[in-house]
Amino acid sequence: MASSRKITLRSSDGESFEVEEAVAVESQTIKHMIEDDCADNAIPLPNVTSKILAKVIEYCKKHVDASKAEDRVNDEDLKAWDAAFIKVDQVDQATLFDLILAANYLNIKSLLDLTCQTVADMIKGNLFPVRNEWLNFTFSIANRELVLVCLTEWVAHRRLFCS
Amino acid sequence: MSRLFEFTGDGDFCPGGSLYPNPKETSVFLSLGRHVDVYFPTRKRSRVSAPFVFSGDQLKQKKQASIDVLPDECLFEIFRRLPAGQERSACACVSKRWLLLMSNIRGDELCCNKATLPLKLEDLSGQNEEVSGAEPAAIKDDGYLSRVLEGKKATDVRLAAIAVGTSSHGGLGKLLIRGNNSIRGVTDLGLRAVARGCPSLKVLSIWNVSSVGDEGLIEIANGCRQLEKLELRHCNAVSDKALIFLAKSCPNLTDISIDSCSTIQNEGLKAIGHSCRNLKSISINNCPHVGDQGIASLLSNASCVLTKVKLQTLHVTDLSLAVIGHYGKAVTDLILANLQNVSERGFWVMGKGHGLQKLRSFAVTSCQGMTDLGLEALGKGCPNLKQLRVHKCAFLSDSGLDSFAKTALSLERLQLEECHQITQYGLFTVLANCAVKLKSLTLVHCLGMKDLNMGSPMLSPCKSLRSLSIRHCPGFGDVSLVMLAKLCPNLQHVDLSGLQRVTDAGFMPLLENCDGGLVKINISGCTNLTDKAVSAIAEMHGWTLEVLNLEGCLKVGNTSLVAIAENCPLLNDLDVSLCAVTDFGIAALAHADQLNLQILSISGCTQISEKCLPALRKLGQSLVGLNLQHCSGISKKSVDLLVEHLWRCDILH
Repeated sequence: MASSRKITLRSSDGESFEVEEAVAVESQTIKHMIEDDCADNAIPLPNVTSKILAKVIEYCKKHVDASKAEDRVNDEDLKAWDAAFIKVDQVDQATLFDLILAANYLNIKSLLDLTCQTVADMIKGNLFPVRNEWLNFTFSIANRELVLVCLTEWVAHRRLFCS
Repeated sequence: MSRLFEFTGDGDFCPGGSLYPNPKETSVFLSLGRHVDVYFPTRKRSRVSAPFVFSGDQLKQKKQASIDVLPDECLFEIFRRLPAGQERSACACVSKRWLLLMSNIRGDELCCNKATLPLKLEDLSGQNEEVSGAEPAAIKDDGYLSRVLEGKKATDVRLAAIAVGTSSHGGLGKLLIRGNNSIRGVTDLGLRAVARGCPSLKVLSIWNVSSVGDEGLIEIANGCRQLEKLELRHCNAVSDKALIFLAKSCPNLTDISIDSCSTIQNEGLKAIGHSCRNLKSISINNCPHVGDQGIASLLSNASCVLTKVKLQTLHVTDLSLAVIGHYGKAVTDLILANLQNVSERGFWVMGKGHGLQKLRSFAVTSCQGMTDLGLEALGKGCPNLKQLRVHKCAFLSDSGLDSFAKTALSLERLQLEECHQITQYGLFTVLANCAVKLKSLTLVHCLGMKDLNMGSPMLSPCKSLRSLSIRHCPGFGDVSLVMLAKLCPNLQHVDLSGLQRVTDAGFMPLLENCDGGLVKINISGCTNLTDKAVSAIAEMHGWTLEVLNLEGCLKVGNTSLVAIAENCPLLNDLDVSLCAVTDFGIAALAHADQLNLQILSISGCTQISEKCLPALRKLGQSLVGLNLQHCSGISKKSVDLLVEHLWRCDILH
């Protein structure tokens, strides 16, 4: 491949990462910045820490490599890699949420899809360790009403199918 | 769903208030359980005699991992990927923010992962052995559910919950909103949630909600393309803009009703007339800015298939009626009420327009323009008119009725209320001229009816008349009744309520002349009728009589009841309120084995005492309704015992 330009990305805690342009433009946000000629110096990303930025770059690199003709990787292998990539973070919810935030800010659709689907699957499969943490404990009147109404709907649904 | 309640933190049940300002942090107490004695003074340090010790770091960590750090658009992305059903409903229960996010997901934004389908099948078949594995997991969104929100319950939150909840099992088809919660009522946000979540909505009816405006209805227009019926009443913030959008976006609209919406003007109606190709029924009431322009553009469309039109309390003039008369080719039911600016000319032109060929039913109320001339023109112009009702039209007189009756060859039902210029002459001409088809004739509160002797003109009887009803016409008496009796030989239903001048002598000929046998008789309020009349009813028509109402016939007593008991096997509804009946009469009714009364009213019969209770119990075997109000002779205790004994019967006391 012809030598592609190197782009420097700077995280919120001051660390710089040098990446190929092809990898950097996986992010639509960065792509627009480059097109608007803001990328002469390093691109500052004040919303992303170095830890997260490293992971994001790892993800983008893998996906860019996978699409190149030479290192042709199977779709299934790529999916497996994605699953392994995200599995590490299932234990640490904080990193998972930070990845979602980063993917959203940097506008990387495939990473956003992956992370959000993972969270959705975990809600569905009740895999979040402390699930009731999400529920506000002060069951205020508004919540009680909500719960009742949503419960009624669900009960009606069950009755429809299970009677 | 029990997982929802797994928590053991006593957020709002503890006596002293929450320990931490942020209730979410009570999660650290999850492991404590009930056996721990915990004291929570308000906003002070806690003294926890528990075996667990926790440090500040642990708190910080837990706080960071909360999913609420994600902004709305990220939560939205996650919720989009949730499968329908339990998960979505559970997340909608978490907080108002989550509910509103969930409810804003449009149908086309949902992605149903293939992986979710087998999970659902397992879910279903695990519960119900009868459901074979062949049932597809995707539940069709047919829109057969309906919801009503009234008063206090009409809030945005409920609408959002309904939108989320119904979309997973059947889809919302009908939504009625009546009134508004005064603190946090229904607004455009709630309607937006419904628009996003219920694409199969067919019927939307909003009453008395002034906080809903154009935005909400435009969202509905964009989201609920299958809308068929729309009803807006007292929605003063809705303007033509919303109507224009609705007309353009919902091709299946067949019924529109707009009532007391002060901001609706002609433009909205114009758009409806232009875009709603399938509109069948339109009803506009009390919209002060709607005028001839709107009505004309509504009706003058070539593809107009309107069958029902109702215009009430509008500032329309003769022009609108002219348009109806010319363009109303498909109209079958027309109701015009309280049109102050319409004159006689309007009705005349409407009849002359010869467009109302299919008109079957016409009702006019409080229109000064409804005069003899107008009625005559209508008779000529509407050959298929079967039903006419005229209420409070003071300028209509006998001659108009006469010319109408001569041309209205299809007329089957005629009802005149408070038309004070009509006299018995008008009545008889109608009977004479519509002798072949008229089935039902009703006169209510027509003060012009007098009891004058007309001689005995040779008029042929009206053989088709089955139902005759003359109510509260104080001038109507024996002479007219005798005349009527000769003209109506085939009656089945007779209603003479409130005719205080009628006596036995006038009533008997009616009974004698009815060949077929009367089925329903109502002589309530005829204070001059006595046992003689009722006994005659029982003897002559007992073999067909089903309903008999003698309320307020003060002179009717036990003799009548004995006669009824002996002669009326088919009677199922008897009302002897305020009559002079005593226990003996009720006992007579009870003794009649062939009598199977279903509804009995003895309200206000003060001569009835506790002695009739055994009789009532026996009658109660077939009764479904019993009215014992104001029976001062029966004590409350006895009534309660009776209520217990006759549990199948609905007893009013």
